[in-house]
Amino acid sequence: MAETEARKSMIKIKPKKYKAGDIVKVDFIVIHPMDTGMKKDKKTGEVKPAHYIDNITFSFDGKPFTTMKVWETVSTNPYFSVNFKVPGKGKITVDYTDNTGEKNSKSKKLKPKG
Amino acid sequence: MKRRSFMKSMMAASAVAAAPMALMAKEDAPKAKKKGPNDMTYDAAVAAITGGKEVKDSDKIKLTVPEIAENGAVVPVKVEVDHPMEENNYVKAIHILNTKNGNARCADVMLTPANGKGYFATRVKLGGTQEVVGLVELSDGTFIKAGKSIKVTIGGCG
Repeated sequence: MAETEARKSMIKIKPKKYKAGDIVKVDFIVIHPMDTGMKKDKKTGEVKPAHYIDNITFSFDGKPFTTMKVWETVSTNPYFSVNFKVPGKGKITVDYTDNTGEKNSKSKKLKPKG
Repeated sequence: MKRRSFMKSMMAASAVAAAPMALMAKEDAPKAKKKGPNDMTYDAAVAAITGGKEVKDSDKIKLTVPEIAENGAVVPVKVEVDHPMEENNYVKAIHILNTKNGNARCADVMLTPANGKGYFATRVKLGGTQEVVGLVELSDGTFIKAGKSIKVTIGGCG
């Protein structure tokens, strides 16, 4: 069951001011239940099916620089942080899919100063 | 006569000894039954990643985790690798593993030289007091690891 609603997600670049050639932190946060498939729903008493993000790709101008495989052992509303050496102006895109086939992506422009 | 009585007593004793063993085994079975969809033990996960290669403990990896986690559902884990990120000599992958969750794997991160630094941070769920291991693959095919134990007050892997 692929949900079409876009998930809330956010990309943060730290620090806020950076130059080309600097190594910055790229933080990616997404609102996702990350159900393990073992917990019971408190209202209905039925076991919730597993629902978690399994693949994440960080890319810069279409070129992937980090790929991740993630399991349900990662916390609810997951947070992933990697480093990235800024080559210049461009766009960081994060594509992520979950085990139900839901696909989403989020992007942010990089604007190095100086 | 002596031998017969001895045998009898032995059989009785062994029956007594065997009975609780069988009971215990029965009690253990339902506990182990509760399984998630991707369950994998720690040893199996390491073997799957390394392909049987040797894994060395290394000071190069800086694993930052809390000593005591009050809430097992959200445990921050940070891995920093002190290794150059050059074209032919870089940190290829960072794997975050745990030793006692049903599924020992948390995240496999494939890095490239464009990252500039071997760094990864996330938050994981831990079912109980256990060790979190950062397993790092370098571009020359060697594996290094660092582990730290975390005390978990309330488990978060329901």
